[in-house]
Amino acid sequence: MRLWGERTPPAPAGATSEATNDGRATAPAPSFERPELLALRVPPSQAVRLALGIGTVAVLLVFWWVLTRGPSPETRFISPVILPSPAEVIGSFGTLVRERDLLQSIAATLQRVLFGFGLAALVGVPLGILAGSYRVVEASAAPLSLFGRNIPVAALIPLTILWFGIEETQKVMFIFIACVPFVFADSVRAVTSVHERYVETALTLGASSTEVISKVLVPLALPQIYGSLRSLFGLAFGYIMLAELINAEHGLGYLLSSSQRRGLSEHIILILLVIGVLAYGIDRFLYWLERGLFPYRSQNE
Amino acid sequence: MSNGTGGGGPRPAFYLAVLVVVVGLVGLALWRFGAISTSRLGGTSGTISKDELQQMAGGGAEAADSSGITTVKEYNYVPATKLPEVAGISSYKPMADRTVKFAINVWAGWGPIIYANNGFKPGKAWKTPGGKDFKVELILIDDPVAMRDAYAAGNVHVGWATLDMIPLFLEGLRKDSRVMPRVYQQVDWSNGGDGIVVRENIKTMSDLRGKTLVLAQNSPSHFFALNALINSGVQPAEVGFKFTQDAFQAAAAFNADKSIAGCVSWAPDIYNLSKVPGNKLIVTTATANKLIADVWFARADFAKDNPDVVEGLVRGIFDAMTDLKEQPAKQKVAKLMADGYSIPETDTLGMLGDAHSTNHAENREFFTNQNNPTNFERTWNTAYFLYKKIGVVTEKTSFDQVMDFSVIQKLMSEPRYANQKNEYDVQFAPASAGAIAAESDEILTKTVVIHFFPNSWDLTKKVTKTVDGKEKEELYDPNVEFIVEEVGKLAGQYGAARIVIEGHTDSSMQGRAPKSLVQELSLNRANSVKEGIIRKFKTLQPNQFATSGMGWDRPADPSDPTNHAKNRRVEIKVYPAEASN
Repeated sequence: MRLWGERTPPAPAGATSEATNDGRATAPAPSFERPELLALRVPPSQAVRLALGIGTVAVLLVFWWVLTRGPSPETRFISPVILPSPAEVIGSFGTLVRERDLLQSIAATLQRVLFGFGLAALVGVPLGILAGSYRVVEASAAPLSLFGRNIPVAALIPLTILWFGIEETQKVMFIFIACVPFVFADSVRAVTSVHERYVETALTLGASSTEVISKVLVPLALPQIYGSLRSLFGLAFGYIMLAELINAEHGLGYLLSSSQRRGLSEHIILILLVIGVLAYGIDRFLYWLERGLFPYRSQNE
Repeated sequence: MSNGTGGGGPRPAFYLAVLVVVVGLVGLALWRFGAISTSRLGGTSGTISKDELQQMAGGGAEAADSSGITTVKEYNYVPATKLPEVAGISSYKPMADRTVKFAINVWAGWGPIIYANNGFKPGKAWKTPGGKDFKVELILIDDPVAMRDAYAAGNVHVGWATLDMIPLFLEGLRKDSRVMPRVYQQVDWSNGGDGIVVRENIKTMSDLRGKTLVLAQNSPSHFFALNALINSGVQPAEVGFKFTQDAFQAAAAFNADKSIAGCVSWAPDIYNLSKVPGNKLIVTTATANKLIADVWFARADFAKDNPDVVEGLVRGIFDAMTDLKEQPAKQKVAKLMADGYSIPETDTLGMLGDAHSTNHAENREFFTNQNNPTNFERTWNTAYFLYKKIGVVTEKTSFDQVMDFSVIQKLMSEPRYANQKNEYDVQFAPASAGAIAAESDEILTKTVVIHFFPNSWDLTKKVTKTVDGKEKEELYDPNVEFIVEEVGKLAGQYGAARIVIEGHTDSSMQGRAPKSLVQELSLNRANSVKEGIIRKFKTLQPNQFATSGMGWDRPADPSDPTNHAKNRRVEIKVYPAEASN
């Protein structure tokens, strides 16, 4: 179980030892030189990963370039109205930044996501820990939580307008409402999946209920809660487009929908790229924090 | 995550590679960006300078002409000579079973085509002028952006729009000559279907200055509001716009948030909202009845390949308009619309009143009459002017790049169409300015400044000036032509409204000249503005206008009554007509 996440990339020597360990593949593999590339579930080395990732992107770019080149718009394989060329997309970066205030939009969106998601974490995590510890709370919240995770969130837009108006509150609350059931459910699961033997040990040592929660359940569940928050953050980011449909002055979602309205497909593609880069940066940052915050994590599971 | 990385993070080399790629892209972008020096558009802020206003008027084809125009003046060019040529191979989806895919939205104006097609599904045989059959499939796409994209991809051959929306569509569509829209027919004028609802304390449009207004962005609602605000002297930057995705959401937001002063939306929402205590309807397109024109447009490649189908569509829609004058036909179309739109039949029957279907005579006025204050060209230029103001359009495409009046022109030779009469002019009984003002508050007041020669009321007064040693005769106020154009256009757009022209003078002669003399002079000046408008725009009725002379009684700015330059002015007030209630 512990080795699950750490299966070492098999070196040529390791390949044979693994084969014997598993008791399979006694026949020598013909592709002995580099068996790791297509070996089942074995991650390739870092350099290969990088090369493969960049290669895929490069192939896509070449396809894109070939499909959208031509001396006139009408002779292109795909009309610029449907898909602009890579050069046109990059060339519109200036107008996106200067005329359409890309940076302000990034700031506005990040703020909304942080507030909405932060609020969801602030509410969902403690409630989840409580519900995970006292299963009666979980039982009573279960229908709501299930309901919250399954409604189509777009349907919440008209309701949030009625409840919270059309200012910032509405956008923040939209993200909050959309995220909190997931945060809650994941927190409950993190607490309930702490192994019973830790609780029993603490009780045997004379710990009270509150001590079990604060000294055992919370510290052991937190890394998992953090991990799920990290992936749910991506979810919150995905909701901005919906949150910013109404009365947003800035914001990436607003930029996207107004670009669509104005037929600026170059800007749409650029904004999607920006969102991708931002999401990647944020995830790396959170991962870096995670390693600092929970150095004991690897001993947990 | 620790799965793939063996406990550590990606190697520094990975970060370096990503950094190199990002820096490279940004660098390339900056380089390109430096190479293209586009000037920044005004954004949502900004004010309109006199020069800009003149540029807007300059879109017209005529030079200043004080002698007056006597008759209807029609364009005498051949549309095909100005329309952009279609290059390349047609890229729309072929007409399966000779069926035209025609996009429509939920709107009264599509009644005629729904009637002509006997519903939404293809089935009924339409005829080209040559007698060949074709079919029509009506496809409901309410979202304009989705419609535009389906049109650009060739999934529909014909799109719907209000004329003011097409400049926004062109931002993307003009990249490819095959998807350039060709407008062949106006199907209706919005006639009560759009409106502005405000709180009780808003008496006139200019009271919205500093307040908030909620509406669907880049929609006919937006166009309606901007036009009314700018005519009232309110700049877009002076109003807090709150944008929603569509008019229904705007109505909902207005209902939910009492801090919003006004809302631009559609029937029936505007009428429901206006019934709520504390709200009122300030104006609808029943009054501004020649402002929002619904049209259909074909892809340029489709129109080039199928001119006979296009003509068949125009004919079929006109014929259905004639049929729909009868009550049984209306009942029938209400049922067809109820089926296609999935709304109750009583609603669709009521909806029919939101628009006025425009017959051949009215289309001819719209497309070809250069002297019509609300023709295609002027409506087009107004849309560009307003959208440029808020920075949502870039370069301007001329109206003759999309307007194709060839079919309308061709049908003039057939009595069936040529004998149709313009039935959309409101008949006004004469009324005095005082009686009109007593009836209700004005919708908006447009203030214009005309410099009259001292003690003269001649609009086209010429003076002799010495330029470079030579004597030259020129207009005392060279702006007169432009002002007449602007006011005439406003009167045309608000075709069911009473227009009161008020002359004002400065108080420089207070105490030295009798008040009655000054009032008479200001009345004469107001009358000469009225005459100038009617001379230029023969289609406007004299009875729509009333005049009054205010003398120096009402300074432009009560806190600065001796600002003579500001006070020598003419105010144009737009009042709802008594018939609209």
